[in-house]
Amino acid sequence: MRIGIPYGLFYFYYYPLWKTFFSDLGAEVITSSPTCRLTVDAGSALAVDEACLPVKVYYGHVRELCSQDLDYLFAPRLVSVEPRSYICPKFMGIPDMLRAQVPGLPQLIDITVDLSRSDRYLQQDLIKVGRMLGYKKSAIQEAFQHALEENRRCIQIASQGWSMAEAIKIWDGNLLEPPEAGDLSIGLLGHGYSLYDEGLSMGLISKIRQLGCKVHLLESLDAERIEMEAATMPKRVFWTLGRKIMGGVINMNKREEIDGIIYLACFGCGPDSMIGEMAERYTTGKPFMLLTIDEHSGEAGMMTRLEAFCDMLRRRRRVDESQFPAYG
Amino acid sequence: MYYYLGVDIGSVSSNFVLLDSRRRLSAKVYLRTQGNPVQAIKEGFAQVCAAVPGPVKIKGVGTTGSGRHLADIMLGADVVKNEITAHAVAACSLIPEVRTIIEIGGQDSKIILMRDGIVNDFAMNTVCAAGTGSFLDQQASRLSINIEDFGVRALKSNKAVRIAGRCGVFAESDMIHKQQMGYPVEDIMMGLCEALVRNYLNNVGKGKKIEAPVVFQGGVAANIGIKEAFEKVLGTAVQIPPHHEVMGAIGAAILAEEMMASNGQLTTFNGETYINGGEFTSRSHECSGCPNLCEVVCIKRDNQAIAYWGDRCKKWETSLAARLA
Repeated sequence: MRIGIPYGLFYFYYYPLWKTFFSDLGAEVITSSPTCRLTVDAGSALAVDEACLPVKVYYGHVRELCSQDLDYLFAPRLVSVEPRSYICPKFMGIPDMLRAQVPGLPQLIDITVDLSRSDRYLQQDLIKVGRMLGYKKSAIQEAFQHALEENRRCIQIASQGWSMAEAIKIWDGNLLEPPEAGDLSIGLLGHGYSLYDEGLSMGLISKIRQLGCKVHLLESLDAERIEMEAATMPKRVFWTLGRKIMGGVINMNKREEIDGIIYLACFGCGPDSMIGEMAERYTTGKPFMLLTIDEHSGEAGMMTRLEAFCDMLRRRRRVDESQFPAYG
Repeated sequence: MYYYLGVDIGSVSSNFVLLDSRRRLSAKVYLRTQGNPVQAIKEGFAQVCAAVPGPVKIKGVGTTGSGRHLADIMLGADVVKNEITAHAVAACSLIPEVRTIIEIGGQDSKIILMRDGIVNDFAMNTVCAAGTGSFLDQQASRLSINIEDFGVRALKSNKAVRIAGRCGVFAESDMIHKQQMGYPVEDIMMGLCEALVRNYLNNVGKGKKIEAPVVFQGGVAANIGIKEAFEKVLGTAVQIPPHHEVMGAIGAAILAEEMMASNGQLTTFNGETYINGGEFTSRSHECSGCPNLCEVVCIKRDNQAIAYWGDRCKKWETSLAARLA
C-alpha cells in the first residue's frame, strides 16, 4: 500500500504524525521532493487564481505525486486543530479543489479534522481509514497515540532552534550542521508552510543566517508562554496559526536579546493581511519589517531589504554602545 | 586629482558621482539605463571622468542600486551597499538633522526614518510599483507629455481632479474617463501627482511617523508637482537636495571613503583600461543541474567569464572562484 503525502501546507506541522500513523499501519509513505521552481510553476498553472502561494505550491506537489503510482493520496480536510480556533478556510476546501482541478488524481484520504467542538469527526474518520487499510479500531488508536508522540518529539527538536523543516529532517534520522552563531538576533515569524519551505520562501532562513544573524522562530519559544501572551490581546485571534504568531510577536517584542522582527507574508493570504498588520502594531520597541512574497518575486528585492535591515540593526547597536563610557 | 567614485545602477537611471577628498561633489552624471546596464556603466564612467579637468585618480569606489553587483564586477568596488543605507548616508551628510527621507525612484519607493543620524526604521514598497516613477513615466507618455515638464505643467492646475492611486491600472482608467469628460490636462496631471503621494503615504508610509525635517530625493523629486502635493498633505516644508537625483551614488561614494579611511588599504578599483579596454557581455542560461532550474547569469569580459550569479546552490559562483584562485 503506497500513500503519498505532499511536501506542503501542514506537512511542516504534522508530517511526523502522519508518517508514523501510516507506517505503523503497514503503509509505505511517499513524499514529494522539496519545493523547487518546477513545483511552483506546475502549481500556479493548476490552481485557481485566487489561491495563495503556499496553496499553489501544494498543487505542484500533488501533481508530482500523481505520477508516483500511489494507492492513496493523503489530503486531509483541516477545519480546526484545537477548540475554538480555526485553520484558514482554503484548507477546508483542499480535497474538493484538488478533485476539481487535478487530472489523474489518486484516490484521496480526506479525513476531516475538526476539533473546534469535539473530536467526533476525527474519530469516525480514523476508523474509516483503518477499515480502508484493513485494520481494527484498537490498532488504529494505538498507531494514532504513537503518531502523536512522535510529532511531539519532532516539535521538541525544533524547540532547540531548528526550523520545522530541519527538525523533520533530524527526526527522520539525518544529521544537520548547526547554524553558525551570529552577532544579531532576529525574530522571524510567518505561517510555517511558507516560512519553513526554503524553496517557497527563496531560502529566507538561510539568507538571514548568512547575513550573520541568529534566527529565532516560534518553535523555540515556550508554547505556554506564547498562549499567555496571545491571551492578553483584546480579542482572541480566530486562527490557530495567527494566534500563535501574535503571541510570538508580543513575546519577542519584550525580549531584549532580539534585535528586530521580520514577518514573512504571502501575497493573497487573507489572514496575513490582518496578522501582518497587527504584528507591526504590536512591535513597539524594535524595528519590524514585513516581507511579502509571491510566485514571481525577485530574490534581489528580498536581499536588498534584508541587507538594509541588518545594516540598520548593526548601526543602531553601534550608537547604543557608544553612549556608554568605555571605562564602564 | 583624487576622487571617490559613487555609482548607483537603478532600474530606470544609472548615476555616477565623483567626490573630492573633502566630500564635495566634483562631477555627476545621470543616465537612463535603458535596459542596458553594461553600456550605461561604461558610458557613465567615461562621462563622469571627462567632466573634471585633468587626470582622474580613483581612491575608492562604492556601488549601490539593483545593479550594484554588476557595477562591482566591472569597476572593482570597495563597497557594495543596498540603496537604503546609501540614501540615508547621503541625506545625513547633507542635512545632518534630517528625520524623514522620502525616496521615490523608478521601481522602488522607500521611506527612511532617521534618529540622531542613523536609520531608525524604513519601509519599501511591496510587490506593487504603482506609486513609483515608472508609473508616472507611463501616465506621462499616455498624455504625450515630456516627463521633465510634468511638474511645471501640473502646477498650472487650479483644481486637481481626483484619481484613484491604489493601482496603476485603475488610475489609468480613471484618467481616461476624466479626459473624456473634458477636464483640462493640467488638472489631470496634478490629480496624478496627488494620487501618487496618496498611494505612497498609504502603502510605504503606512503607520510611520513622518517628522520634519523631511528630505525628498530620487528621480521623482525633479517633479515639482509631487513636492507640492507632499507639502500639502504633510503640512510641512519638504526639502529637495540640490543633487536629489544622484543621492544614492553620493551615499555610495561616502561609504567608499569611510571604508578606505577605516581599513587603510588600497582601492580594488579595476582601472580605466580594464573597463574600457574590454568588451563586457552578459549571457544567461537555465542551469539543468537540479529541478530548481535557476537562471544563471554569466558576465564575460572578452569571452572570459568574470562572474556568475542567480544560482541558488552557488555551484557556478564557486566553480569560477576556484578557477580564478
